[in-house]
Amino acid sequence: MKSVQETAGSFPSQSHHAKEIERNKFPVARGEDVIGRLAVIRLEKGDTLPDIARHFSLGINAISAANPGVDVWVPEAGERILLPLSFILPDSPRKGIVVNLATMRLFQYKEDGTSLLVTTYPVGVGTSERPTPTGRMHVARKAARPTWRVPASIAEDHRKKGDILPKAVPPGPDNPLGEYALYLSKSGYLIHGTNKPASIGLTATNGCLRLYPENVKTLFDDTPVKTPVRIVNQPYLIGQRNGVLYLEAHAPAEESDALELEKLYKKLRTIEKKAQRTLDWKKVREAQAEARGIPVPIFELSQGSEKEAAKPIEVEHPETLYGKPEIPALNLRAWYVLAADLPDKIDAQRIAAIINHQGPQIPARVFKKSGSYRVIAGPFNDGSEAKKAAKRLKIDLEIDGIVIEPVKNG
Amino acid sequence: MKKLFLITMMLVLPTLMISCATTGELEKVQAEQKMIDAKADQALKDAQAAKAAADAAQVKADETSARADSAIKAAEEREKAAMEKEKAAVEKEKIAEEKAKKADAAFQKSMKK
Repeated sequence: MKSVQETAGSFPSQSHHAKEIERNKFPVARGEDVIGRLAVIRLEKGDTLPDIARHFSLGINAISAANPGVDVWVPEAGERILLPLSFILPDSPRKGIVVNLATMRLFQYKEDGTSLLVTTYPVGVGTSERPTPTGRMHVARKAARPTWRVPASIAEDHRKKGDILPKAVPPGPDNPLGEYALYLSKSGYLIHGTNKPASIGLTATNGCLRLYPENVKTLFDDTPVKTPVRIVNQPYLIGQRNGVLYLEAHAPAEESDALELEKLYKKLRTIEKKAQRTLDWKKVREAQAEARGIPVPIFELSQGSEKEAAKPIEVEHPETLYGKPEIPALNLRAWYVLAADLPDKIDAQRIAAIINHQGPQIPARVFKKSGSYRVIAGPFNDGSEAKKAAKRLKIDLEIDGIVIEPVKNG
Repeated sequence: MKKLFLITMMLVLPTLMISCATTGELEKVQAEQKMIDAKADQALKDAQAAKAAADAAQVKADETSARADSAIKAAEEREKAAMEKEKAAVEKEKIAEEKAKKADAAFQKSMKK
């Protein structure tokens, strides 16, 4: 068992380097449940975990859980980050679309001749007040450039914050459905894109499932109407690959924890009985308590099993991270908003990063001023754009911004 | 008269005899006293020297004790300062964590539709 344990989550030596790593599409071998491979990347200056997550098609939940203690918004340059690009497939029929709410991941199965292919994407799911429903449903219809008809409950939530929404939001940057929507047979629930990509991997929706814009386009194109959709909630996944049993534990919702744990232990006891060997229960409890969301090898089902797949591979940092918010150059004729004036550099950088990751983006940067650090949002083309941004900062982030007029007019 | 002489002799002779014995004894006693005195002087001197030595030792002990006390106090102060520094660092870290959590919570809220 020891040799199996040592492979879990340990960082690779410098020798294994890869330019690219598969992040979405994987073949599923018969009788196997684990896909993909863990990877490691070295952060560069200015990286944030949401930027790394998006580039590698991961949710913010997954990258945060896999890297406990790493600052999401201001991580240290040079720090090595684990990319949890290995997944245990949910315990569900491998057909159509399966969404695991606990792992915030969607799996789309396709038969390819005699083999099975799975494409997986991270998702954003409903909040505890407005949860995503579990169960069986199907794709009822699809729409490109959908119009968002604002539900009364959401309109009321916004009105309370002083934000009056129209009855319908047309396609465009302000539309929270993004560019594509798949309407589910369960009325009122959709799988759609987003104008807030940093929300993928968060419980932030009103029950819908959100995908990165680049992922929803592929899903939209690959999914015919009537495709079955099964939504499950499985925080503890067990599965095997190459004769090794893996456990992938995620932080469960409090109310379901005891029940889910009971189910897990029951399954493991059955496996133990069948194998007629004792399981390393300490390892199981550790993986469950850590809840890092990565498959951890816990048991060799047969002697001399292949454990290489559990070792992470080192991936080169790309020149540019896909979808990373860009900050336009300063312009003396532009309008700006002073969002914060803080004594601490890290605090200022964090606020700037959070503002940059709003949807639609509000560009923001940090200016060093004697004894303090200023977070300046902008540039904005005119006063009304700056005022609109200041209003959004107030409503969404409770920041009292001060509008700054251009240095040079005309 | 003869009787009176006899009686007188009987009284004077022993007195003379006693007187002679007492002078010798007295000299001896005086010599002895002198010796004892000298011994006493020496003893006193020794005692004084011992006391002085003891006092000096006590002073030294007191000094050492005082130095030990101040060393302990300094160590305690250093420890206290280190603990306070550590506490301040923990507090600072806690504040930083809370700030990060607060910022994250605000961010998550802003990500809703």
